[in-house]
Amino acid sequence: MKLSKGTSMLGRGVKRKWSCLEELEAEVVPAAVAEEKEQNGEEDRVEQGGLLVGPPKSDMSHRQQRQLVLGLCLEKLQRYQVGMELSLRRSVLLINTLRQIQEDMRRDRAITCTTDILLSGVQPDSCLLRDDFREDMSITCPGCTEGDVSKSPPLSPEIPSQEASGLPDQQKSPPAVTNNAFSDAVNAMGYLSDLALDDIFEDIDTSMYETSDLPSAWVSGPVWPVSVSLWEDEDVKMRTPSHGSPGSLQSCLMDLNELDHIMEILVKS
Amino acid sequence: MTYTSEGIQLHSSPESTSKQWLLYRPGGDMQWCFSQVKGAIDDDVAEADIISTVEFNHTGELLATGDKGGRVVIFQQEIENKNHPQFRSEYNVYSTFQSHEPEFDYLKSLEIEEKINKIRWLPQKNAAQFLLSTNDKTIKLWKISERDKRPEGYNLKEEDGRYKDPNTITSLRVPVLIPMDLMVEASPRRVFANAHTYHINSISVNSDNETYLSADDLRINLWHLEITDRSFNIVDIKPANMEELTEVITAAEFHPHQCNTFVYSSSKGTIRLCDMRVSALCDKHSKLFEEPEDPSNRSFFSEIISSISDVKFSHNGRYMMTRDYLSMKIWDLNMENRPVETYQVHEYLRSKLCSLYENDCIFDKFECCWNGNDSVVMTGSYNNFFRIFDRGHRRDVTLEASRENSKPMQVLKPRKVCAGGKRKKDEISVDSLDFNKKILHTAWHPQDNIITVATTNNLYIFQDKVN
Repeated sequence: MKLSKGTSMLGRGVKRKWSCLEELEAEVVPAAVAEEKEQNGEEDRVEQGGLLVGPPKSDMSHRQQRQLVLGLCLEKLQRYQVGMELSLRRSVLLINTLRQIQEDMRRDRAITCTTDILLSGVQPDSCLLRDDFREDMSITCPGCTEGDVSKSPPLSPEIPSQEASGLPDQQKSPPAVTNNAFSDAVNAMGYLSDLALDDIFEDIDTSMYETSDLPSAWVSGPVWPVSVSLWEDEDVKMRTPSHGSPGSLQSCLMDLNELDHIMEILVKS
Repeated sequence: MTYTSEGIQLHSSPESTSKQWLLYRPGGDMQWCFSQVKGAIDDDVAEADIISTVEFNHTGELLATGDKGGRVVIFQQEIENKNHPQFRSEYNVYSTFQSHEPEFDYLKSLEIEEKINKIRWLPQKNAAQFLLSTNDKTIKLWKISERDKRPEGYNLKEEDGRYKDPNTITSLRVPVLIPMDLMVEASPRRVFANAHTYHINSISVNSDNETYLSADDLRINLWHLEITDRSFNIVDIKPANMEELTEVITAAEFHPHQCNTFVYSSSKGTIRLCDMRVSALCDKHSKLFEEPEDPSNRSFFSEIISSISDVKFSHNGRYMMTRDYLSMKIWDLNMENRPVETYQVHEYLRSKLCSLYENDCIFDKFECCWNGNDSVVMTGSYNNFFRIFDRGHRRDVTLEASRENSKPMQVLKPRKVCAGGKRKKDEISVDSLDFNKKILHTAWHPQDNIITVATTNNLYIFQDKVN
């Protein structure tokens, strides 16, 4: 058995145009190209028997690195060996890293938002940079507040699996996903695989979910079609700049219903 | 061999009255020679052969290794040849046995690996040797005993073992013991199971020789060596709501002399010292060892690299050593706010953390060890390099375990890694390091300058150069 650590990079489109951080788009897109080259190089590097070659990662800007680490974090949390128990230490470290990135992003946005406001009053896109990221839905539902989580569970996302969607990779968007994904990832990780010493039934449920492709938290709700709809959502949201309006919650819910409908059709076909 | 307080080893042989300096050459550099290598030469490593733990017994006569396939191999040092002190005795296979088998947890539909995580020897009390070996879930006490005689001369049984008809026996004959080839038997004497929900990462025998602790990610249990059906839980850091979990236990060890004291390290870089006399549940630590983070080094990987992978008390019980991803720290048990010594193992990796995170190497758990008199410490690194730090003389050396440097008594040449800039001759650049070749497990003979390092599937034994 070869010991080389293969890396399967997250989809190429991960940190690209669908980022919720619009103001970063300018930064991200050209950087994405560079990153992609680096990633390609990185893959080659790693395949050469675990050697590290190529441009140093330290050349990346803070945000670029954050994007990269974020993507890797989510990928690692998702990846596990079927039939083998997750290492709790590893899961905890990954989730803590995710939390740290989330904090970092939050701080960034808070600063940018404040700056924006100070500079030019409230702008439509500044509302995308709300502090409140529980549902993050800057992408999907910027107007939603924390209290609306219960109303819009489908928005909590994730790292939808490719098979589920059938949509092209570049629709994946970790930055957007992360804030939503975070709390779900916490649930999803082996934490719930606590043993028979605790609730046995809970345990059995968890183990069933663990062997499936979707972490338990995602399976519990009508996530399947909705996570796909999230991408649709992004498309829709990008085209209709109605964020920041008081009626956005309303529009969110309406969009959801529409999307649900669309997805049902898609899934059936 | 004796040790002075300065940590200099002297040897006085019966033939000479003068003392010979064995450890330090003029100039003070330590020199290490290749002694032996155990394991297959193949580059294609069978997963079951991957060495997962290495441990000398208390006299250093026995060296145990555990592998991913659940096997334990014990090597024994041959009697030293007193006439030729320069030929240090060799280690040869003494016993091999299957300690753990793979199991299946039906409740969780998950496989339980048979990989041996740790082996700890018990101090010898009689002719037999005892060791504890553990995988993720179960600890076993093994008795290793020698048999070099067998009884012969029974007249009650036939050759094949069937009992003869008593009516045919007319005389009384007592069997006699006759010598036979040495046979080493390993038998499981105790199985300590079902006490750990999470993966066991450490076991440690108490100085009272009656109890031992076992630690998993969230709990530490105290066992009595004679009792297998119950254990006491002495540390429990599992939060009521698992979503609040941010820290796990990474290693634990009993104090070498104080049977009431133990320490456990965490994934956040802290070490807690607990006193079992204070309360039954040692959730409240007596001491918390933590070094404040250097803000200039802060990155997304700060927490991961601060995770402590090993903690070892010094033999004298005054210090403890911790290993995190990039460094080794020595703590004075009386000072909690910072270590007394910090050794950078491979600081050149700090700028590569992102790549190491990508290929998962950042999660590697390196062990560390003290020499017999606590003057020198050792740990492993990548590219089959290992590092030795001489605390007293503030000297360190990087050596490599490789088949190329494996001629008998060949002196190991110090290696140097070039972090950046122009690479000198004989230096190796960071980008050329092989991160698949890692030395995670090392051990130092308790009384002599014999060290052993485990590469993926080979065990290298080195000894210091004898004049």
